[in-house]
Amino acid sequence: MSALGHYLEEEGIATAAISLIRPQTENTKPPRALWVPFELGRPFGPPSDPTFQKRVILAALRLLERKTGPVIIVDFPDDDPRATADPAWRPPFIPAAVATGPADSLAARLEAESVLLRDAHQRWVAQHHRTTVGLSGLPIGECARYVADWLRGRAPPSPREGFSAPLILRFAVDDVKAYWLEAAAVGAAKPSSRQLGDWFWNETAAGAAIYALRAALQESEDERLRLIVSNFIVPAARVRAG
Amino acid sequence: MTRLTDLPPAQAKRLAELECPDFATRPRVTGPALPQRRVAIVSSAGLVVRGEDPFRGRDADYRVIPANTRPDELLISHISINFDRTGFQEDWNVVFPLDRLNELAAEGTIGSVARTHYSFMGATDPVLMEPHARELAGRLKQDAVDAVILPPV
Repeated sequence: MSALGHYLEEEGIATAAISLIRPQTENTKPPRALWVPFELGRPFGPPSDPTFQKRVILAALRLLERKTGPVIIVDFPDDDPRATADPAWRPPFIPAAVATGPADSLAARLEAESVLLRDAHQRWVAQHHRTTVGLSGLPIGECARYVADWLRGRAPPSPREGFSAPLILRFAVDDVKAYWLEAAAVGAAKPSSRQLGDWFWNETAAGAAIYALRAALQESEDERLRLIVSNFIVPAARVRAG
Repeated sequence: MTRLTDLPPAQAKRLAELECPDFATRPRVTGPALPQRRVAIVSSAGLVVRGEDPFRGRDADYRVIPANTRPDELLISHISINFDRTGFQEDWNVVFPLDRLNELAAEGTIGSVARTHYSFMGATDPVLMEPHARELAGRLKQDAVDAVILPPV
């Protein structure tokens, strides 16, 4: 975020920005930026690759020692080695009766799928000592239930004080994605984000449920709900025509 | 390999043409060599420590991430869903390279690591972030920070 750099420099603090979108950085003209050719979401490149990550962060910090300026944009030379698909990766097994089936069973299948992935997710937590599930504040079973209830047309109230129901829906969808994707990535294989995304959006009840939620609620009279389901549950690259 | 050209054309165009403030000045602060610098991370990934207030919509303020935060305590609450989260799920250093900074400090490549790090939510209009960023500069100075790395997401 190059604009932040501008404000901090005006206040007397030196900054080095990482840039993922070069045209944006060219517009903002920060004092120092390192453009990296990585996918959005990975400013320091491959996960679990400290050597590569350190090269990126050092390339950015070294810009602080340059005497030229006022604007430096340097390109990092190497691509993310983890951006390629791993043919050895296999998605978790989900019976076809759960993953695919009639639309009217989607809510129940979503909930069933969360239970089926529990073991894989526990193994993920044991492997990586962390989970990024937790924005909604609900345990994953309740998260799945909350999303499923919207799909059942129940418009469940927010379970959390100070958070609107549409906001909790957004966070619950984020948590469902995180839980499913973590469960799917457990093990020694190194799936690319595209492999994981293809699986989630094309082969799971959860993916189908989120598509269905978007279709069902994007004509809602609640403007905030309409905005959230239209723009903040299905990624732009995954939106299907019609 | 992933570049802007790999994104759906409409998304790529929107990102490339995103309006940025037209700054009248070109500030550029100099300082000592890296082994004498104290470094902080100011992310725009919408990071929040578990249990604290996530970013709602386009909040313009920032969240505080103490240097003793553990990897299992950090979440992304960025409003955009159009970026990969699986890298961060596996390894927080992909977005928040605190372990790498600590290693660089331990080996003497940088002077030290700040006591506190911060995150904004990058989809917010930068003009709205300005007062918060200027106030944050004061906090950074109190911690003797003289180098900030600014990762987006």
